[in-house]
Amino acid sequence: MLEVQGLTIHAGGKALVQDLSLALPDTSLTCLIGPSGCGKSSVVKWLSGVLAPELTATGTARLNGDDIAPPHRDIAYQPQQDTLFPWLTITENASLGLEIRGSRPREARDRVRALFDTFGLHGHEDSFPDQLSGGMRQRAAFLRTIVQDTRVLLLDEPFSALDAVTRLKMQDWLIARLDAEPRTVLMVTHDLYEATQLADRILVMAGGPGRITADIPITTPRAARSEAALAEIRSTLRTMLLEETP
Amino acid sequence: MLYLRYIYPAVVLAALFLAGWEGYVAVSGASPLILPAPSDVANGLWVERSAIARHATATIGVAAVGFSLSVLFAFAVSVVLHFTLWLRRGMMPLLVASQTVPIVALAPLMVLWFGFGLLPKVLLVILVTFFPMVVSLMAGYASQPRAFRDQLVSMGARRSEVFRRATLPSARGPFFSGLRISATYAIVATIFAEYAGARQGLGIYILTAKNNFRADLVLAAVVVSATLTLALLAAILVVERATGRRYRRATHA
Repeated sequence: MLEVQGLTIHAGGKALVQDLSLALPDTSLTCLIGPSGCGKSSVVKWLSGVLAPELTATGTARLNGDDIAPPHRDIAYQPQQDTLFPWLTITENASLGLEIRGSRPREARDRVRALFDTFGLHGHEDSFPDQLSGGMRQRAAFLRTIVQDTRVLLLDEPFSALDAVTRLKMQDWLIARLDAEPRTVLMVTHDLYEATQLADRILVMAGGPGRITADIPITTPRAARSEAALAEIRSTLRTMLLEETP
Repeated sequence: MLYLRYIYPAVVLAALFLAGWEGYVAVSGASPLILPAPSDVANGLWVERSAIARHATATIGVAAVGFSLSVLFAFAVSVVLHFTLWLRRGMMPLLVASQTVPIVALAPLMVLWFGFGLLPKVLLVILVTFFPMVVSLMAGYASQPRAFRDQLVSMGARRSEVFRRATLPSARGPFFSGLRISATYAIVATIFAEYAGARQGLGIYILTAKNNFRADLVLAAVVVSATLTLALLAAILVVERATGRRYRRATHA
């Protein structure tokens, strides 16, 4: 269980996030949704230890009851862009996290290579990022994140840079990956459809200053999440988000 | 062949310029003491080839030592400045100020302080060439996308690791730009240092030729100096091309 308590983030003298608390049960997928600028990305960045230098934060993070100071070796972060280094091959990029966490480069690369098939990257071991499509680059970024074997994944709008079709495919693919290897996931998104399709639970954030205004569990099994089954919850969420956007 | 197509306009323009010069000297009957024709310069270069080669070798030696030390020094300074914010804030204005010092004034002082040996000349080459490299390295470090740094820090990377894995590779392109700018100064700075005081070198050769009213030989040495600079630039280009294929890939992020 990952818990955040009393998180307040200041930008200059102004509170960007105010006294925010949340708890992520093990192997759950929680979506954090809210209007632009409400501070949802800052929450994830703080948990990853990469809060922008102009922001200051107070609050505590706990992992399985122990206080932690991010960055933490059991938490992996994936930003909106794939942030693959253009001068590294896909294998080198994907093994970066393992190497920094202490694996020997050769072992890390062998381990990563063994997963290329599963991540739909077969044959691109020695390709460079600019030789891959957007969806493939995103899968390479996921490979780099997931292979780190952390219990917690923090995903900051991981699909927002993808075209609509690729995004749908990647959402299905992520769910399949998480079914095979369950992790505790906190995913920031501004996409209602994505949130209702993927999440076990949706936290709605409001801005000025950022706080959580609703905690909505989604109990419908993923396989049964048709348009009709999700219509009501989407309508509720839409109303909430529209109310919060000035 | 592609390369030829790329450079032929420059070759044509240079040939036109030289032909015009040659023609003007022939028609106007200008004294070779004042304005030697390109053919006179070529002739002087050929006749004096062994002396010029000896002096050029001395110049190459000084430039090579000075420029190599300058590259190492610039890199070391850039790393220290990168990691020490207060020093960066303190040093950058001083470095900029150091560039406003006229070399013309400094070169004789260097000879006065350090004699006619290698040291004053090497110091002068470093002083002239190291600034563009430091500035372009610093700009390169700053050009590193913040997202790259964040990605590594979230994985637990230390500052030194972020520097090695993301900051340094991001600075490669800007570094080579600075290196090329510095290289264009390296030979000229060496010649200038020799001009102020030396036993060997193109600077001394030019000085002697000028004192003997041999404008053709002055220009012959200038041709050699320009050729040396071009060769240095070509060598840098070759090194850049041969070593960094992967660093020239497009950034998509």
